[in-house]
Amino acid sequence: MSLTVVSPLDERPLPEGSAPPRLASVGGARIALLDISKGGGEVFLDRVDALLRERYGVSEVLRFRKPTFAKPAPEAVLTDIRKAQPQAVIEALAD
Amino acid sequence: MPMLANGVVAPPVPGQPPSGPSLLAFFKADCPACHLALRYLDNLARSIGSGDHVLAVSQNERASTEKLMRSLGADLPLRFDRDLTASAGFGLEAVPALFLLDQAGRVLASSQGFDKADLNRLGGKLAKLLEVPDPELARPGDGNPDFQPGCVSRHLEPESDTAAADIPDLYSRRAGRASRIDLPTEADAEEWCYESGYADPLPVVPPTVERVERMLAESGLSPDEVVAHVPPNFGAASVEKIAANAVMAGCRPEYMRVLVPAVRALCDERLDIHGVQGTTHFAAPLAIVNGPVRLELGFACGSNVFSNAARANSTIGRALQLILRNLGGAAPGRIDMSTMGNPGRFSFVIGENEEASPWGPLSEDFGIDAGRNAVTFFCAEPPRPVSEHKAREPRVLLRAICPVLANLWSYRVCKRSEAVVVIGPEHAATLGRGGFTKRDVVEFLFENTGVPVSEYDGDGGEGTHEAGFYDECVIRGVRCYRKFRRPESVRVMVAGGPAGKFSAVLGSWATGPRGSQMVSYQFA
Repeated sequence: MSLTVVSPLDERPLPEGSAPPRLASVGGARIALLDISKGGGEVFLDRVDALLRERYGVSEVLRFRKPTFAKPAPEAVLTDIRKAQPQAVIEALAD
Repeated sequence: MPMLANGVVAPPVPGQPPSGPSLLAFFKADCPACHLALRYLDNLARSIGSGDHVLAVSQNERASTEKLMRSLGADLPLRFDRDLTASAGFGLEAVPALFLLDQAGRVLASSQGFDKADLNRLGGKLAKLLEVPDPELARPGDGNPDFQPGCVSRHLEPESDTAAADIPDLYSRRAGRASRIDLPTEADAEEWCYESGYADPLPVVPPTVERVERMLAESGLSPDEVVAHVPPNFGAASVEKIAANAVMAGCRPEYMRVLVPAVRALCDERLDIHGVQGTTHFAAPLAIVNGPVRLELGFACGSNVFSNAARANSTIGRALQLILRNLGGAAPGRIDMSTMGNPGRFSFVIGENEEASPWGPLSEDFGIDAGRNAVTFFCAEPPRPVSEHKAREPRVLLRAICPVLANLWSYRVCKRSEAVVVIGPEHAATLGRGGFTKRDVVEFLFENTGVPVSEYDGDGGEGTHEAGFYDECVIRGVRCYRKFRRPESVRVMVAGGPAGKFSAVLGSWATGPRGSQMVSYQFA
């Protein structure tokens, strides 16, 4: 005899998302860097910041920071990034 | 333009204007802070009774707005700011945005974001204008945060030509029923569950309809009632889904009375299980059970309290972990990326040995009366052992605990960690005989745990860069930095077996409002 089981899983379909189109070039672009507040993150991002300007001709690098790595970015941080209207955002994850 | 100031006459909002004083609440459907506010505003509208005195102004179209209101169980009069002119006219920056207007439409008070104090202030003023009793809408400690920043108002959002992702349904109170799946006749049920991704690597009890029904019957709750949304994927933990996972973990039906409040506590925003699920650290949620339920359901509180001594501890802990994995999405290697992991990720539940304690239960520290059932969560490292077999006096005994506490997180990192110190019964007896109250124990541990300043010799190791923020003290003639921010960073409880002069120390993950805070829930 066959058994019938009750699904213990989250049955919602996974939301489909897709990455935005890649920039053809970062030359002359405004790029945002999001520091998630992990120890050492700013050291890494300072170097990325410098490389983007010196090597890739990025016109402006905008810096943002989450108040804590332990929680999702608060809406206020996301709002600030949106208002600045960068062409791309680079998020520095973990340490 | 800035938000409308008090005294200014507000621009019109589409639809029938309110007759008399009113509270306008601008919101958008994908804003979690709006969802929180709408539930309180719905209660306000109900307590006021007739008339459109509380109006919810949606920045979305009718279909998604009505879907949201159904999921919240809210029945507020709605207005639709379809072209967002009213939002712009009111000068909104964020939603939820509340405006209290007098009969002539002048702004009397306003607020942006979710803030219980503002809700109470504005709700109270509206009640006064309408000469009805103050409803005291939002009480502290009701399970919702006191404050949550809002989301950017839709009229300020940049337009995008790509379709928005689905709105996560974070606050619905009802879920659809779980699917029933007929297993192929030839299938081995245990293997089938494993292959279908239902389980941790241990075998599970197949969640057959009959077993799940027995759990549901014992719970006395509706199967589609949503107890919590489990981060980070926010799958709905309906009573039925909790029951299915409880069956798989090997729970008895009567354990539902603990599991349901435990799931609610586990998903309390203050505990930040969201962060703990994805950390590289060792942390796992430890559940500590207090009250008569320990004896009624046979929780281990004595020997082997942290290991495999009792069905209640082992299977309830495993059910919680399966729920985090199956509904929250935190499976190892996907979202759970802990570097070393924690054996507590299989199951991490202890009962307090209240009978061997000279003090009140741990739950009393969180305002719950002794003798009540409670489950308290602490996101903890694995236990660190303390051995002290010679001490006959409290201070000597506690000195053995201090160096273990000093090592939490990383030796030279101070003011970051919290700790739960699990005092073994023999140690508890020594402390009780010596006249030490729980407060005395906590204060001694706080005062005597530090890291010598001489350890900070400029080598650049973890914790040394922040030394300028540490608090200096002198411990037995040695200049030290205090390990803990305050005495309450250390919690003390009693558990373990009657023989053996051992205790255990458990360190925290990130702490405080920017990390994980302990939560304690009372239940029947």
